[in-house]
Amino acid sequence: MEFQLSKQQKMIKKMVRELTENEFKPIAKEIDETGRFPHENVEKLRKYGLLGMNIPREYGGAGADELSYVIAIEEISRYCATTGVICSAHNSLVCWPIYYYGTEEQKEKFLKPLARGDKLGAFALTEPNAGSDAANQQTKAVKENDYWIINGSKIFITNGGMADIYIIFAKTDASKGPKGISAFIVERDSPGFKIGKIESKMGIRGSATAELIFEDMKIPEENLLGKLNDGFKIALKTLDGGRIGIAAQALGIAQGAFDETVNYIKQREQFGRPIAKFQSVQFEIAEMKTKLEAARALVYNAALKKMHSNDYTLEAAMAKYYASDIAMEITRKAVQLHGGYGYTKEYCVERMMRDAKITEIYEGTTEVQKIVIAAKVLNR
Amino acid sequence: MPRTDNIAEYNGVWVFAEQRNNLLNPVVLELLREGKKLVKKLDTELTAVLLSHHADRLARELIDYGADKVIYLENELLCTYSTNIYTKLISNLVLENKPEIFLIGATHIGRDLAPRIAARINTGLTADCTSLDLDENRNLLQTRPAFGGNIMATIICPDHRPQMATIRPGVMEKAEKDTNNKGEIIKINPEISATESLVEVLDVIRKKAEFDITESDVIVAGGRGLRKAEGFKLLQSLAELLNGTIGASRAAVEAGWIDQSYQVGQTGKAVRPKIYIACGISGAIQHIAGMQDSKCIIAINKDPSAPIFKIADYGIVGDLYEVIPCLINKLKTLR
Ligand SMILES: Cc1cc2nc3c(=O)[nH]c(=O)nc-3n(C[C@H](O)[C@H](O)[C@H](O)COP(=O)(O)OP(=O)(O)OC[C@H]3O[C@@H](n4cnc5c(N)ncnc54)[C@H](O)[C@@H]3O)c2cc1C
Ligand SMILES: Cc1cc2nc3c(=O)[nH]c(=O)nc-3n(C[C@H](O)[C@H](O)[C@H](O)COP(=O)(O)OP(=O)(O)OC[C@H]3O[C@@H](n4cnc5c(N)ncnc54)[C@H](O)[C@@H]3O)c2cc1C
Repeated sequence: MEFQLSKQQKMIKKMVRELTENEFKPIAKEIDETGRFPHENVEKLRKYGLLGMNIPREYGGAGADELSYVIAIEEISRYCATTGVICSAHNSLVCWPIYYYGTEEQKEKFLKPLARGDKLGAFALTEPNAGSDAANQQTKAVKENDYWIINGSKIFITNGGMADIYIIFAKTDASKGPKGISAFIVERDSPGFKIGKIESKMGIRGSATAELIFEDMKIPEENLLGKLNDGFKIALKTLDGGRIGIAAQALGIAQGAFDETVNYIKQREQFGRPIAKFQSVQFEIAEMKTKLEAARALVYNAALKKMHSNDYTLEAAMAKYYASDIAMEITRKAVQLHGGYGYTKEYCVERMMRDAKITEIYEGTTEVQKIVIAAKVLNR
Repeated sequence: MPRTDNIAEYNGVWVFAEQRNNLLNPVVLELLREGKKLVKKLDTELTAVLLSHHADRLARELIDYGADKVIYLENELLCTYSTNIYTKLISNLVLENKPEIFLIGATHIGRDLAPRIAARINTGLTADCTSLDLDENRNLLQTRPAFGGNIMATIICPDHRPQMATIRPGVMEKAEKDTNNKGEIIKINPEISATESLVEVLDVIRKKAEFDITESDVIVAGGRGLRKAEGFKLLQSLAELLNGTIGASRAAVEAGWIDQSYQVGQTGKAVRPKIYIACGISGAIQHIAGMQDSKCIIAINKDPSAPIFKIADYGIVGDLYEVIPCLINKLKTLR
């Protein structure tokens, strides 16, 4: 399949590529080593209209299409997977569900500042006892007069502590299992809202991954997102889109490692010639390139499906599964082809290999994607 | 090695009164109690050997705890432990006085000192004993775990005297204090020079006492439900009544209420006490992984659907700040 990018998509690709090379790439190593949150990158994302880029202009967004979004995440992640996930979580997991399920008042109050990039968002579903089994929520919300009183905690929340607006999920009807979960919009300064531990991670080390704690957290009744007890459906639908973003992140990491490697093997000489002249090295490159393009086709296809249809669950799951799988494989090979140098922090491929691993885990593990794919195929 | 030819001349039970900064190591009280039992059966005297400086008070204390006699070697150089000097002085004392049994606590100092004395005076030593007894021939039956605790070996030393053993601290009961006890203090001022020690102690650095919660039979653990650091004081009172210690969930550690060495769970310590009381802990799988093998789990939580109740043997739904004081009061009336 040959993707003919539109003029706008091409422009976005060029713009984000320059932004990444000039701004994100130079500090990627430092934020990885220090594990600090790159506020300056978030500010650049805001300035370039990349926070809320799919949201229509009337709500403060850039009005770009889903494929442009995928291309942007891919380009950012080529050299800074940390910035890639900050951007992806904000767009796919926060702006989108408020746009899709929010009331006009909610869009006015929450979506506009998010889509303008004045505020950062986070999505909080995972709990200590509810990871892949996300329906096993233990956080509870109880209605008291005009407020929801929420108790519980969330874990591993991307942008946690840095974000101003959170979408969280809580049980509103304990007797109903997955059908008793609701979604809420929560502001950072709500009474009873606390940030717990910030995790120290193998990769994407600059992105804050935090625990959230709700102790008798009080939020207004009108912050319920979507219908009461519809939360689990909202979460699943949101994650379908999020997975396309993570697939794009994985694709970008793989592309970045691939580009570094092609460059390196042309320069490095052993046995009197560049290692690129050895046929086994060439074959590795051929395999990497082919898988990269196959993944790109799947990822772009998922984006197109989302642009033209409401049911993109299967395409998103396949794209995330395959792209994260080959991101791991390609970064591993990239380190190998760099030899001993690839194992040092002087070169960026070791960081890319560490960054790649998380794409197989978050927003649904590879195994969960396979469950989704198989269910779709077998139910047909 | 040649046997001790005059075994019958050896008489009396000795214990080494290990002191640091002129405070008796707690194991000494265990040795005294154990020694007292032996001297009764052997119809002889219990002697404590003390090396220190300005320690008359300690010598008296040893009598309060049951020593019939205290041999107190006094010299400035004996304040802090020194391998060579202690070994030489104690070996000479043993050779002169011929005790039948000599017990030393298996502390770091005791484990260093005992084998050196044993080698010098050519006798047998059993390390790290956990129980002692006597046979009809006045042989000391010295029992110690071997092969990582998988077998218990009972060892005797029939042909040599004294019969030496180091005793694992914390296993035996402690002697009771009785200020009416009578005894004799023999104070000796040995001549020693600093050059005799091959080791010079430059400084003693005290490590922050890190108590190992895995060794406790009772753990009263607190989580985020405590809401404040002071909550651990309440748990501490309960733990003390039960001769236990406190523990914590990661949430309580992260909140800064308690040191990380108390954390129970996958990334903390794995514990299996007889009783584990979980107070204000929801029961996240990462926490449960570290305590599910406890013999009896008691949960106190105000949320009846908290997952901790799934593994609890006994559960109390309620505010821990109301429940625990009730438990404490009840326990106090039972004492
Ligand atoms: C850096 C980072 C950022 C994250 N960001 C967010 C965020 O912003 N918001 C959020 O809500 N969550 C976030 N998460 C959480 C993430 O989505 C979960 O970690 C993930 O869904 C997996 O859940 P788990 O860690 O509990 O693993 P588990 O569910 O315990 O899975 C452990 C293993 O068992 C396998 N497994 C589980 N169930 C099955 C099954 N039925 N069949 C086959 N295999 C199975 C899994 O695939 C996995 O290999 C983040 C996590 C990390 C590490
Ligand atoms: C990588 C990783 C490793 C981890 N390792 C560990 C680990 O080793 N150990 C560990 O413990 N956790 C660990 N965790 C954290 C774990 O997932 C949970 O977040 C944590 O155990 C929750 O602690 P908690 O039960 O104290 O707090 P919460 O889950 O917040 O529970 C508090 C409980 O207190 C109750 N409560 C509130 N007020 C009262 C009151 N007044 N009276 C009675 N009950 C009350 C509430 O109902 C609630 O059930 C780890 C997490 C991660 C991500």
